[in-house]
Formats: sequence, C-alpha cells, structure tokens
Amino acid sequence: MNASFATELPWLYAGLASYALATAFALKGAWQAQTIGPQTTAGNERFVLVGAVGGVLLLLTAITERWLRIGHGPFVSLFELIMSQLCSLGIVYTLSYWRVPMLRPSAVVVFPAIWILGLWILFLDPVASPYPPTYHNKWLWAHVGFGKFFLAFCLVGTGLAGVLLLRAHTRFGSWFRAMPDDARVDALAWRFMLLAFIFHSLMLVAGAVWAQDAWGRYWDWDALETSSFLNWLLLGAAIHVRTTYRIAPRHGALAIIVIFVFAFLTYFGAPFYSEAAHKGVI
Amino acid sequence: MTRPVLQRLSSPRLTLIGMAMLGVGAALSYDNPAGTSVWVLVVPMGFLSLNLLAAIIHNPRIHQRGGLLVFHLCLLGIVILAAFGRLTRLEAHTELVEGTAFDKDSLIDVREGPMHRAGLDRVQFVQGTYTVDYAAGMVRGLTHCEVLVPAVNGWQRLDVGDDRPLVLNGYRFYTTFNKGFAAVLSWLPAGGGAPIRGTVNMPAYPLYDFRQANRWEPREGEEIRFWLDLDTGLTDKQAWTLAPAKTKASLIVKSGEQRVTLKAGDHVRLAGGVLTFERLSSWMGYKIFYDPTISWLFFTAIIGVIGLAGHFWQKLRQPDWQPTTKTQRSVDTVSGRVTT
Ligand code: HEM
Repeated sequence: MNASFATELPWLYAGLASYALATAFALKGAWQAQTIGPQTTAGNERFVLVGAVGGVLLLLTAITERWLRIGHGPFVSLFELIMSQLCSLGIVYTLSYWRVPMLRPSAVVVFPAIWILGLWILFLDPVASPYPPTYHNKWLWAHVGFGKFFLAFCLVGTGLAGVLLLRAHTRFGSWFRAMPDDARVDALAWRFMLLAFIFHSLMLVAGAVWAQDAWGRYWDWDALETSSFLNWLLLGAAIHVRTTYRIAPRHGALAIIVIFVFAFLTYFGAPFYSEAAHKGVI
Repeated sequence: MTRPVLQRLSSPRLTLIGMAMLGVGAALSYDNPAGTSVWVLVVPMGFLSLNLLAAIIHNPRIHQRGGLLVFHLCLLGIVILAAFGRLTRLEAHTELVEGTAFDKDSLIDVREGPMHRAGLDRVQFVQGTYTVDYAAGMVRGLTHCEVLVPAVNGWQRLDVGDDRPLVLNGYRFYTTFNKGFAAVLSWLPAGGGAPIRGTVNMPAYPLYDFRQANRWEPREGEEIRFWLDLDTGLTDKQAWTLAPAKTKASLIVKSGEQRVTLKAGDHVRLAGGVLTFERLSSWMGYKIFYDPTISWLFFTAIIGVIGLAGHFWQKLRQPDWQPTTKTQRSVDTVSGRVTT
C-alpha cells in the first residue's frame, strides 16, 4: 500500500484526535462527579461537545477528500464503512447529547464504544475500492442512511444501558449521580431502541427495493439479509418481552447491549464474510 | 366459548414463541433458501399471523392504539402479500442472441408459483448489442445493453443493465454477468438440401476467456468444432470495455482432419457442405423476475412504519422518561436552558 496517496488520512487522524478530546473530558467529568460532585460537570460537557462537533466536521472533511480522490462515496470497503460510521455515530450522538441533557453522563460509555471503530480503522488499508455496478442506485442512499440512524440510535440506547449496568457497581455509581433514577434511564433507553427499530424497518424496506433493482430479487436470505432480519426480530422480540413481563432495568440493559453487539457484527462482520454475494462484485 | 379460545390465542407469550420459531426458520434458510424447506418459515409466520389476528381482535393494547394497530395490521399484510407473491411468481433465465426476439419457450431454470398466470406471451423485445466496462483487476463495472421494444410508431431503443431492468408486462429482465460471443454461420448441405442459418453461442466471456469453443453436428456430415480467436483488448492490468460490436475475431473450424481459420465473410467446403462464417455476434444472459406483489409490499411496509412512527411520537410525550428534579439534568449546562 502506498498511503501517501491517501490524502484523507490527516483529516481522519485529526477527527480521531478531536474525539479523543471529547473522550478525555467525558472521563474527567465522570471522575469529578465522583470526587467533587455532579455540579462540576458543566465545563466538561462543553468541551465534550466541542470535541465531538470538531471530530464530526473533520471526519466529514476526510470523507469529502477521499470521495474527490477516488470518485465515489464511502460505501464499499471496510475502511470507508468505518470512516463514515465514525462520522454518523458522532453526528447522532452529538445531537442527542445536545438536545437531551439527561443522557450526557452516558458519554463515558459511548465514546469508548466509538473507539472500537476508531482503533480498528488505524489498521485498515485506505486503498481505493472499485465501485460495483449495482451501487449506482438512489436506494443505496436511503438504505445506508436509514442503517446509519439505526446503529446510531442503538448506540445512544447502549450508552444508557451501560450507565444502568455500571451504576450497579459502587465504584462507578457516583459517576452518574446527575442522572435520574434507573426507571427513567431505562424508559429513555427503550425510547431510543424503538426509534432504532423504526429506522431498522426503513433500512430493510429500502434495502429490499435496492436488492430488487440490483439482483432481481427483493429478498434471498444472503448473509447480510439474514443477519439484519434476525437483528430486527431480536429487537422486536426484546421490545415485546419488555411489555409482556416486568423486566428489571439491568436485564433490559443487558438485552440492549446484546442487540447492539449483534448489530455491530451484522455491520462489520457479515458483509465481509460473504463479500461477493451482497456487494455484486462479480 | 370463542372468547377464551381467542384470548388464549392472543397471548403475548405465544408471540414470543412464534418469534423464536421464526428466528430459527430464518437462521436455517441462511444462504441456502432453495435448499431449505419453505415450511420452516411458513409455519412460524402462520402461527404468528393467527396470534396477531387474535390479539388485534382481543387485546385493547393493540386495537385502541391507532399507530400500533396500523403497524401490526401491516405486518399481517406483508405476510399475506409475500405468500401470494410466492404462489404467483416466476423466476427464470434466458440467453438472447443479438438481433433475435425474446421467445418464451427459451426459458431455463424456471421456478414458478402454482398460481402464475402465463403473461410472457405478451412480452416482446429484440436484443441489441451491449458494452460492459471493467476496472483494472477485471472488476466488472457498468453494463449498457441495447434492446428494442415495440412503440406506437415502430421500435423504441432502450438502454438497460445492472440496476436498470427492462420491465415489460410486469416481467423484469435483468442483464447478468453471464454473457458472451456467438458466431453467425450458414450451412449449405452438399446433398442439395435447404440452406441453414444459425448461431453457435460460445461460453460466457470473459469468465471463460480461455475456452471459447463449441461444436455442431450437421445432419449430413461429421461433427464440426469451433474456436473463437478474439481480439477484445482484455487485460486485467488496466480498465477496458467489452464491446462485441467493435471486437475482431477469427473462427477456427475443425472437421475430421480438416482445420481452417475463417474471417467474417469467409467460407470453407467441408465433407457434408459449405460453411460460411457470416459475422461475429453476441448473446446476453437475462434473469427474469415476476412478482405482482412487490409494489403492494412496498406501500404496506411504508404505511406500517408510518404507523409505528405515530405510536413513537405519542410515547415520546409520556412523562415516564423525563427528569423530575433539578439535579437530574433539568438544567442544560451547555446552553443554560431550563428544560423542565
Ligand atoms: C405476531 C404477533 C404479534 C402480536 C400478537 C403483537 C402484539 C403486540 C402488542 C399487544 C403490543 C403492545 C404492547 C404494549 O405496549 O402493551 C405490541 C407492540 C409492539 N410490537 Fe408487536 N405483536 C406481534 C408481532 C410483532 C412483530 C413481528 C414485531 C416486530 C418484529 C412487533 C413489534 C412491536 C413493536 C415495535 C411494538 C411497540 C412497543 C412499544 O410501544 O414500545 N410486533 N405488539
């Protein structure tokens, strides 16, 4: 690989550095909430927001730079998928962080989760990817866009689920003193999961229309289709379990994390497990 | 009497059992739907449909909430439409040589639902030529395939390929990677019979670039073997375009001990007659798909999601997730705005 051609890399690294700033201030806020008290978090929250917004803008620049360099959007290689996910997860979490102050302490869970992708991308080859013929389709945009919202809302829910689980430990309990009781955090987490479910449903519909155009069938149980259908069903089943039985918030939180892990594997595992089938590169 | 049955059938626990069954059915169908019994999906879907129908009738938590009711009704609608689609669908393949009209009797690998009504009789189009772009490394790019369809005044030329199928009478024709060259030949039997004109299709190109061969046996005479020697510009180092209309080729003909190389227009006298290599042509492999429910499925799914979004909107206004005290983040520390 000749990375010197990859002119988007400096922007990518700068974006990650900005996310690192947000992560550091989120951790500082949690630590101060423990040692001094929840009232100290205001200044930190401002820096978390600045770091997150900066990261999003720099990543958007990296994506644009790459787009201009290779002539197509970030839809094909794992490097591109992760780069655009880093950006979209950042956008949705930042907006939620800004508009729903109650969830802000969850940043100490959300940013480390984003860092799984942040570290992974450092090991990937930014080499230009060929653009499959079936990707010249407007439904690709709808499909990918809805999918991004799904994963991002799932991440917000996962942040709150992480709060519920961490709170149970005396060591971390005081990190989240500024947040409401478990029942409210649980309710908010499942609101985000319902929103994630709506976008997952839209992603399946847009994906089916695209598949009909691209491969002449709307559904064929390929690796990615099966995995995302199971993910949708799992989320639907979890929503039902919660309305059928009285589930303790911590058990609900575990379910959310399982769903998120499943979604993560669907996004970053399944398409690369059976590459040719879904991508149309044949 | 019917009420308790309905009540039992509407149990939310049965929904969970049905969902688990559907999950297993989906996992079994994974990557091999053709080799897996359709019943692993039909049984759980049927079970869930009954359970849902009973719940819609019996459970006020569904039928008294508009958005949720719409969503679940649409789920039911999707199952019914998908089932109807399976019964009425047609999936098949065909190969069409440039300049020939689509013929419904040329279908291969046909998979047809028992309620499929023959509508292919009314499908008419003529195959034109095509180009396919390849990126370096032999990665297939865009296909531009020309077809002629009947129009009010004569024929209309259309460009189809990749995600732009030809749609006629509800049947969707998709170009595929399976395409190649053909030799247009004429045969004048030595015994004085009627001349024959036809094409010999070579294997898919560039998939079988190394094996562009086929054979034909005239009624009188020995089997004739053909090899196409093509000059397509194929290289896996650089981008190139496969364009049969611009391709030069010679046809190597072998019959018994005789072996000759023909250019387009050349002929050769063989044991049973005279063979003329008229010109190089091409063929395109199509996948055919027909399912009358696809637009209905789309609209039902969209209406279902709109219903669920309405339900979500109502839930957002419920107070169960809102903070109650100042310490519970009722003050926005970034903007200083008080949110409660
Ligand atoms: C097939 C039988 C089904 C039945 C009998 C059923 C029944 C119900 C009922 C009674 C509710 C209201 C729960 C409450 O808030 O009290 C509900 C909600 C819901 N159901 Fe279903 N359902 C079925 C299938 C499905 C499926 C297959 C999915 C998707 C995978 C699904 C997704 C949902 C969602 C997202 C909600 C909203 C829950 C909320 O308000 O948070 N349902 N269902």
